[in-house]
Amino acid sequence: MSDEIPKEGMDRRRFLTVLGATGAGAMAVSGCSTERIEKLVPYLVQSEDQVPGIPTYYASTCTECSAGCGLHVKTREGRAIKLEGNPQHPVNAGKMCSQGESALQGLYNPGRLTGPKTRQPDGSFKDVTWDEAIAALAGKLSGAAGKVAVISGAGRGTFSDFLAEWTAAAGGRVVRYEPFAHEALRAANLRTFGTNELPAHDFSAAKYIVSFGADFLENWLSPLENQRGFAKSHGYDNGNMAKHVAFAPRMSLTGMNADEWHPTKPGADTAIVLAMANVLLSERSGNPADANALRGALAAFTPEKAQEASGVGAEVIRRVAREFASAKPSLAVAGGIGNQHRAAVDLCAAVNLLNYIAGNVGTTVNFGSDLDGGEGYGALEALGSDMDGGRVSLVLVHEANPVYSLPAKGGFAAKFKKVPFKISTSLYLDETAALCDLLLPGLHALERWDDLRPRRGVIGLMQPVMQPVFNGMATGDVLLKTAQKAGGAFSRFSAPSWEVYLKTQWQTVARAQGSSDTESFWRSALQRGGVYTEAPVTPVRLAASAGQIGSTPASFDGGEGGDSYWFAPYASVLGDGRFANRPWLLELSDPVTKITWHSWVEIHPELAKRLDVREGEILRLTSPHGNIEAPVYIYPGLHPDVVAVPLGLGHTAFGDFAKDRGVNALDLLDAKDGNGFLPYLATRVTLSKTGQYKKLAKTEGTTRQLGRGIADAMTLEQAKKGLTPALALEEQGHEEHEINTEREVEAIHGFRESQLEKRKHGAYVGDQPMWGMAIDLAKCTGCSACVTACYAENNIPHVGEDEVRRGREMTWIRIERFWEGGGDTGDPLETRVIPMLCQHCDAAPCEPVCPVYAAYHTPDGLNGQVYNRCVGTRYCSNNCPYKVRYFNWFAYAKKAFPEPLNLQLNPDVTVRARGVMEKCTMCIHRIRGAQTAARLEGRELREGDVNTACAQACPSDAIVFGNMKDPGSKVMALKTNHRGYHVFEEINVRPAITYLAKVLHRTEA
Amino acid sequence: MAKPVPGVLAIFEHIDAACDAIKSLRAQGKRNFTVYSAAPNHELEEALGVTNSPVRLFTLIGGMTGCLAGVGMTFWMSLDWPLLVGGKPIATVPPYVVFMFELMVLIGALSTVTGLVLLSLTKRTTGLAYDPSFSDDRIGIFVPAGGETGSEIERIVRDAGAVEVRNAA
Amino acid sequence: MAVIAHDPQHPNQTHAEVTRDVVNTLGTADRGYFIALGVAVLCFLVGIGTFTMLLKDGLGLAGYSPPVMWAVYITTFVFWIGIGHAGTLISAILFLFRSPWRTAVYRATEAMTVFAVMTAGLFPIIHIGRQWFFYWLLPYPNARFLWPNFKSPLIWDVFAISTYLTVSTTFLCVGLVPDIAAARDKMRGWRHKVYSFFSLGWKGTDNQWRHYTRAYLYLAALATPLVLSVHSVVSWDFAMSIIPGWHGTIFAPYFVAGAIYSGVGMVLTILIPLRKALKIEHMITDYHFDNLAKLTLLTGSILFYAYAMEYFIAWYSGNPFEQETFWRRAFGPMWWAGWTMIICNAFVSQLFWFRKIRTNLTALFVISIFVNIGMWFERYVIIVSSLSNDYDPYAWGQMTPTWADWGILLGSFGWFSMWFLLFARTFPVVAIQELKEMIPMPRLRKGGH
Repeated sequence: MSDEIPKEGMDRRRFLTVLGATGAGAMAVSGCSTERIEKLVPYLVQSEDQVPGIPTYYASTCTECSAGCGLHVKTREGRAIKLEGNPQHPVNAGKMCSQGESALQGLYNPGRLTGPKTRQPDGSFKDVTWDEAIAALAGKLSGAAGKVAVISGAGRGTFSDFLAEWTAAAGGRVVRYEPFAHEALRAANLRTFGTNELPAHDFSAAKYIVSFGADFLENWLSPLENQRGFAKSHGYDNGNMAKHVAFAPRMSLTGMNADEWHPTKPGADTAIVLAMANVLLSERSGNPADANALRGALAAFTPEKAQEASGVGAEVIRRVAREFASAKPSLAVAGGIGNQHRAAVDLCAAVNLLNYIAGNVGTTVNFGSDLDGGEGYGALEALGSDMDGGRVSLVLVHEANPVYSLPAKGGFAAKFKKVPFKISTSLYLDETAALCDLLLPGLHALERWDDLRPRRGVIGLMQPVMQPVFNGMATGDVLLKTAQKAGGAFSRFSAPSWEVYLKTQWQTVARAQGSSDTESFWRSALQRGGVYTEAPVTPVRLAASAGQIGSTPASFDGGEGGDSYWFAPYASVLGDGRFANRPWLLELSDPVTKITWHSWVEIHPELAKRLDVREGEILRLTSPHGNIEAPVYIYPGLHPDVVAVPLGLGHTAFGDFAKDRGVNALDLLDAKDGNGFLPYLATRVTLSKTGQYKKLAKTEGTTRQLGRGIADAMTLEQAKKGLTPALALEEQGHEEHEINTEREVEAIHGFRESQLEKRKHGAYVGDQPMWGMAIDLAKCTGCSACVTACYAENNIPHVGEDEVRRGREMTWIRIERFWEGGGDTGDPLETRVIPMLCQHCDAAPCEPVCPVYAAYHTPDGLNGQVYNRCVGTRYCSNNCPYKVRYFNWFAYAKKAFPEPLNLQLNPDVTVRARGVMEKCTMCIHRIRGAQTAARLEGRELREGDVNTACAQACPSDAIVFGNMKDPGSKVMALKTNHRGYHVFEEINVRPAITYLAKVLHRTEA
Repeated sequence: MAKPVPGVLAIFEHIDAACDAIKSLRAQGKRNFTVYSAAPNHELEEALGVTNSPVRLFTLIGGMTGCLAGVGMTFWMSLDWPLLVGGKPIATVPPYVVFMFELMVLIGALSTVTGLVLLSLTKRTTGLAYDPSFSDDRIGIFVPAGGETGSEIERIVRDAGAVEVRNAA
Repeated sequence: MAVIAHDPQHPNQTHAEVTRDVVNTLGTADRGYFIALGVAVLCFLVGIGTFTMLLKDGLGLAGYSPPVMWAVYITTFVFWIGIGHAGTLISAILFLFRSPWRTAVYRATEAMTVFAVMTAGLFPIIHIGRQWFFYWLLPYPNARFLWPNFKSPLIWDVFAISTYLTVSTTFLCVGLVPDIAAARDKMRGWRHKVYSFFSLGWKGTDNQWRHYTRAYLYLAALATPLVLSVHSVVSWDFAMSIIPGWHGTIFAPYFVAGAIYSGVGMVLTILIPLRKALKIEHMITDYHFDNLAKLTLLTGSILFYAYAMEYFIAWYSGNPFEQETFWRRAFGPMWWAGWTMIICNAFVSQLFWFRKIRTNLTALFVISIFVNIGMWFERYVIIVSSLSNDYDPYAWGQMTPTWADWGILLGSFGWFSMWFLLFARTFPVVAIQELKEMIPMPRLRKGGH
């Protein structure tokens, strides 16, 4: 079916989405939870929004991070089977990220708690009824008056307000804890501008982006929105392209997408920022007056000083500063998790100044949106000491896992244990829940009523899109029921249910939006997925405190000695660890290292040489606070004296997928307060060999493309000249590709024509669409959202760590990442990423070699693969130059979807059996669906009727799918672009996928 | 076991003796006698005036049939349900030559053997007197005959140099 | 029969002696034989066990790691097919060339051919993902009205190999009939009955011989191009693909030569112990081994040339993919396999320039083992190393065989040896009637003819 933005008027999507409001009622007939799985649904009385075989879409909101993207939840026969972006939503505009896609595996996770439980004297848990559970809670509440605490990771919304009120009624306090809360950024804003709000950043407008370790493509504030903006500004668009410079100890995904990455000495980057500010102030006229006042204060910070401190060349700093100033508007960002050292506040404050001086505040840095973030670490630490002091007798943990996400050194677990009565509403038995006395598993965001206010002006709604998978209960309902039981101060919570409470609250929203008919307002909001308005930009001036310029480098625990190295933990695919129970994300190869399933430690090639370690050798990292062991990955994208380890693994609970997998990098950290936040980049470690070895479960063969022109690139100048990739290569002095003479081309063409004639038999007569794709490498960041989207859409099984180790992963679309330059070449290290999927070649080498016609060419130009016919000779894979065919060596699907994960399977796509070959189908089920729909409407297929899952998800809009026979189509426009090329053009297999060469914003020396 | 044919069985140790016997038998106008030997022998063939065996016709016809079967099968099956692979023509000669050749050899060989069997059956072998030594190092000539013709034949083979002569009745 | 007159190989044996010596090899066997047979059967059972596991759990048990989608099984498949070729060469081609020395050895080699092809024939079934659907490769009328894809080299294989198996089996049986008859006439009791049955009523009458000799000639004539075609087709499994290291026009002749080389190697490995065990040293003599060794030298030298050409063309073509592949074949992660192949095939065979080595049985035997190893590795290198680094460097990967690979390999040797051993004690491994054909019969009157 069409996955495009709903047109005006009442098309099917819109109609069904509207029905979402009554959807909850309808859910009852479409039983799907595992307990009720046996119940047959007789469609004798057709429920109005349940048409067997036709998906129903419900608008909802993503709660995987605080960004609060809008969703369209695709359900079939009462089961959510796919999450797609809500095109109307201002944050994600219909796009998705891997983490968001994987919410389904949170919903259907086998590790979910099946119902309320209480702890027995012997320590084990015992199932109880909800009434018993609520009674228990109510009983304890009355006893614990005044000594109640709540730790909540819930995003800002009606629930968090309610929770605050409720806790207040209980005479306690709420700590809104979000591990990555960007506290430093808040503190800095308070210092510089007198507000601790988090501003919105407009990457799309920025012409020049400097990032000081802010991984804005991974986990910084609103990653998906950032990426959308970044793709717009940094993606090449006839002659225009923003430049992105990154200063960081480690080249993260964000750094990979920078035109310049400068390895900086950890904690010393403040000096660079101040030097840049200094250059701006001293060299530029027309700076804001109040900024000029700082000139004196900044005069001392010369680029030379900065070079001493950070190891980045003074001339580089000067140049970047000038470029930064001359590009209007520009944008500087800081405060990322990977760069959160003890001086992070100084750094962010300095960056604020830089932006302010350059005049970016109000253009690319917009206050007033007040992004959601949570209070984070400081408040939690305070609570910890209260627990320690026995000043808390009842604690309720909601959507947070502090026992895991805080360094063990801090002893939070011990403090937490001291609380007499501990309640968890977690859906899973995570580390924190495991310590609790009462488990009240809540409902997944897709099972409950809720809303979210990620920023001012944006309210996202959530509605139950299906019956709960297990016997959970919305925490809102639990608290209301408890309140009604407890009475007393709680008596004002009279709402019969959370749904009613929410609706009542929304009447005020309606009024605020100036709508009198609250019911229809509610309906339309529900249909749109919420209320989206533009928050006015509030102007800010420098605060008095802006002058306080901290420039002392951050301090580090652990020896300064030559044998100790900076330890940089960073958040990658698994974030703060909350995603570690989701096989899609565990098997999703890390965008930077391409490693799956386990932990690793990144060390610089030079360091590896010095220590004489090979890839896979297991090293022991020892800090003053603890030690971990992980296999080595040799990574050129590091400051030579930095070792990096990803966060998120090393769980001791949290379901079978997460438990006892990898190591927890937090074990090396001190929990000491880096004034209000957890300093991730604050330790030095010593390395020692363990003598053990572990083959990395990584999906890459080699890191270089050996000049084979797989992921081509050209400089901005060449792009402006309109060169083709081949010509660009020649200009760069590479040996020229052999080009056929006119007569040869003639001959080849003539031969091809004659061959085409000989095809015309049976179904191949007549004119049909020809499906194709164009992928713009100037936009692709390698974020891998397409990969997860493909897993979700096409029932791709995960194969597990050992199978990945043997290269047997089934990623129909994979992101290939190659290094250019770096190492001994002397050139700066550059990255090329290219999504590699079946090219649906017109002269496909895989087809003729199949003895049984399992691989054949469809009349509409697709490279078909008939699973039922395949006998598994694997010849097709051998003969595929792109190696995008995947074989079911075992019955992977059987292992990959344990109950209830199987409920997520897409009914439109075959679950492949053992012994057959599979590969990208260009979502042929969507194409056929759209064709049927069009036929029913008695019209031709239109541009935009079909889109593949990968193209639909791609936050950068790098992937474009369409009909190549339609000259007006977007895909043809791109295919005819001068940057277009085919991978391995010389073997003349005529791929249906055209890549657009990456454009390099190199420094004009 | 077919009922025994009456006649004379002469056993030879020497090739030239056997040949002489055959020649004089043929001179007598005898044609329907049977010669046993452990291996094909040119002198015997000459004496018997053996002509080329028609088995080659089987080979020829079989081979041609096979080749045509190869053409027919590949083209018909390709066009019966046209499926496009690798942008190649639906039905095309070069890859199909393999099948024409292989089927030619296969059917050719099988029909040759069939020919061998059928042709060997054209002359009866059952019921004729036989001696195990014929598959070892002796040559045997069996002449179906009775009465005085029998004795006449006995004389001929003895003169030729048969080491032993039996009367099979 | 000028040939026979100065034929050094038959220290004037009489027909009777030939029959006696050969027939003595039949029937009763000693302990050594049964031990050998036992070992063979045991290996075969290991193979069966492994295959059962493959059926139960899936091909994943073998060491495949993409992009290496074919590995030990296809390697072994080509290996056994190759073995077969020497047999047909000796029995059919040398028959057409009237080469006298083949007579004493051809029966053994022809039998080897049949059993080798029988073994090879199992692999296309073992190695596919859904073994239980192997018959989908045959053009049989089915409910789907779907026929196989005749453009696929794998279907060429199906036809080439089944034809080869049928024809060489027929050829072997036809040759056997008169000898079985000879054996029959020496046997008593139940053995006599059994051999009578298999002799199909053969009496060696003039009429039988008349058609027999012709039919045998035409079969040989058909088998000759067949043997050349079969390995060409097998080589096209690779040559027809686009993988650097596979996609070569040299492949057909190169593979045929390799096949015969490996086949002769196997002939030596088998005959040297066999003639001893069956006490037929006086029939299969140095003369034969000398000729076999010369054949090895010839084909080995052709391989030498082919290897050299592959590297030369890789360099000369200027095709970076091709160059990378061959560089890695020699110096990449699989260098050891690459050099095993070159040394065992190209270089070791050159030792046969020396007559001393050609006629020294111990040397011959050792070298023949090297030939077998070398030729197995040739296929392993061509298949595995070419696949492990083709076009897309990101997808490169190395594979390491597992117990499942070795289990099947062992099983195939067990299966082959089992059949050969059973054959050697049951049927004449030396062609009685063809030997006799070459030995003049006694004459009454001197001179004459």
